Amino acid sequence: MDFSRGTPCATNINPEPLNHRPSHNTLKRQVTDQLVAPRDVLNYERPIKKLKSGQLLASQGMDKRHPSSFQQLEKLGEGTYATVFKGRNRQTGELVALKEIHLDSEEGTPSTAIREISLMKELKHDNIVSLHDVIHTENKLMLVFEYMDKDLKKYMDSRGSGGQLDYITIKSFMHQLLQGIAFCHENRVLHRDLKPQNLLINNKGQLKLADFGLARAFGIPVNTFSNEVVTLWYRAPDVLLGSRTYNTSIDIWSAGCIMAEMYTGRPLFPGTTNEDQLQKIFRIMGTPSERSWPGISQFPEYKSSFHVYATQDLRIFLPQIDQVGLDLISRMLQLRPEMRVGALEALSHIWFRDLPQLRQQQAQQAQQIQMGGQGSMMMGGSSGGGYGVPVYQ
Amino acid sequence: MAPEPGQLSSLSNPLATVDQLSTSSSQLDGVPADLESSLRFAGAQLTQAAGILLRLPQEIIAQAIVIFQRFYIGSEGGSFRINALKDVSAASLYMTAKISFLPQSTRSILNVYAYLLSPTSPLRQSPEGSTGKERPDAESYYLSEGSYHSARATLLQTESILLRSISFITQVILPHHIALTYLQTLGVLPPSPTAESSALATRTLAHLNTALFSPQLLYLTHQPPALAVSAIYLAAREIGVKLPSTEWWEVFDVDRETLGFLVVGLGSCGGWIQSERENWSATTCPLTLDELEREIKRRVVENG
Repeated sequence: MDFSRGTPCATNINPEPLNHRPSHNTLKRQVTDQLVAPRDVLNYERPIKKLKSGQLLASQGMDKRHPSSFQQLEKLGEGTYATVFKGRNRQTGELVALKEIHLDSEEGTPSTAIREISLMKELKHDNIVSLHDVIHTENKLMLVFEYMDKDLKKYMDSRGSGGQLDYITIKSFMHQLLQGIAFCHENRVLHRDLKPQNLLINNKGQLKLADFGLARAFGIPVNTFSNEVVTLWYRAPDVLLGSRTYNTSIDIWSAGCIMAEMYTGRPLFPGTTNEDQLQKIFRIMGTPSERSWPGISQFPEYKSSFHVYATQDLRIFLPQIDQVGLDLISRMLQLRPEMRVGALEALSHIWFRDLPQLRQQQAQQAQQIQMGGQGSMMMGGSSGGGYGVPVYQ
Repeated sequence: MAPEPGQLSSLSNPLATVDQLSTSSSQLDGVPADLESSLRFAGAQLTQAAGILLRLPQEIIAQAIVIFQRFYIGSEGGSFRINALKDVSAASLYMTAKISFLPQSTRSILNVYAYLLSPTSPLRQSPEGSTGKERPDAESYYLSEGSYHSARATLLQTESILLRSISFITQVILPHHIALTYLQTLGVLPPSPTAESSALATRTLAHLNTALFSPQLLYLTHQPPALAVSAIYLAAREIGVKLPSTEWWEVFDVDRETLGFLVVGLGSCGGWIQSERENWSATTCPLTLDELEREIKRRVVENG
């Protein structure tokens, strides 16, 4: 195996030794100190069954990149701890998303960045945005992600139908979202911050989970992290009530909220404060009691003075939904975490049974449109709300 | 069900390659192999001591020691002559705590390291020489605002270098909880433990903690289930607890050869630690770059 790192970028080499201590590779080290991660963070393979040979701590192939290997284009957004730019690989012309993280002068590399990188490097799945590279310079970290056209929020806004999506798009997106979630959960990772802004869409109609800054492996207790800000609208009631033992079911609640939002174009529970968020949830789902949720009064944020609402029929808020879809969303939006459906179980729900068929029909129609000379490749057709809808309604 | 490579697993860690174990940056920089082993030991000890003073759980301390060890292996890894072990130890502990459930402030970390590196530090005194009753000289480890700021800059810079060097592979699966599960599976750790079963569990965990100091870098060469099985085997033999007479380790995917190697490895740790203590009883093991340079120079002079 080749251990060499290849020739570093010549422009930044400073031939003066850093200090007077001897080093077999002072030059190499200097360059890497300034520029990049010394071991490729991408092609890392974990030896699972091969205990005798092929044990790797990191892959040896060294793919040296300098921030200038990417042309920085327009700003795509500002996250909680980073700025994201569109970028282009100068060598290949490939579009990428560049997430720039400034290193804090008081705390160093943000824990969110460390967690995100170490998880994203290993979570390789069609429905999870892929991390191509990490470039580490003196005062910032740059994460190079695959480029996606839009986030779900912008995608919904761009559809010109008040944010509402058509039936087949909703079904396809929900299926992909649940596949991404199932993969995370199988790998013992909670996303913890699922929301339309963190779901990325490309023009092939693919949906991918992004922004794992708050994600963490769930083998570790998760207390004391409650001070990290998670969007309230998609937050599960058990978390809002102050539970410190939440689990995979919190991502399922978020998925349920997102499904409703795709139907109506509006957030289902747009709360402003922790208390208001709970009230918005109870107003629709009904205020839980010790009888409907044994143990609820033990939660730190539980108040016996909660206004008592009766449970509403979700259909009133989601007039567009079909009966089978309503069954699925009700299983996801269960107040009690242990009653919520799991990601794998949700994927095998009968609501998804006709998805391959619908996709096929859609592909055929797209082909017909194309043959008719209008090359729209957008998912679900450019008209929106077209096919698919009559299937159940 | 075996996890696919490239996915997170609850039972396996990335291990060191043969090349990474046979060549190190430090050796290429002229650090003798025996001194390198001593430095690794001193680093693990320093990290453990700092973790205890910070009242961190052993889980975080053990992970930090493994991260520290990952940094100094291979020709591409860190060198003891360039990145001082005290700095890498502090950065490992700071970073590991930061991504855990008990993040520590830079101030706490640096205060503790200032104390442990000061002349009053228990690590600086040979066990025979200390009376244990002397009042520590507080001035010798007081970290003024100015020294704190420069120490923090070093800490954060080292953290950066550390993360790059281990290519952000920060997950460390520990064998401790796996061992407890195996003890239960073997039926020797009942829900209400007997004196014998809790002695067995304690002894097993003690072996796993001692193994963190192994010069063979057992945590970088073996998967957690193998470490857990071997610690149980050894502890049961020492205490005299009867385990199934069949080859029970096969159930946990550990073969006889690995078990044999690890039992010897774990068993020899105590002797190694003892000899390290004796070797460094007159002086103290170099913890800073200057001390290391002096030690290397001394050896050169000694050997002509």
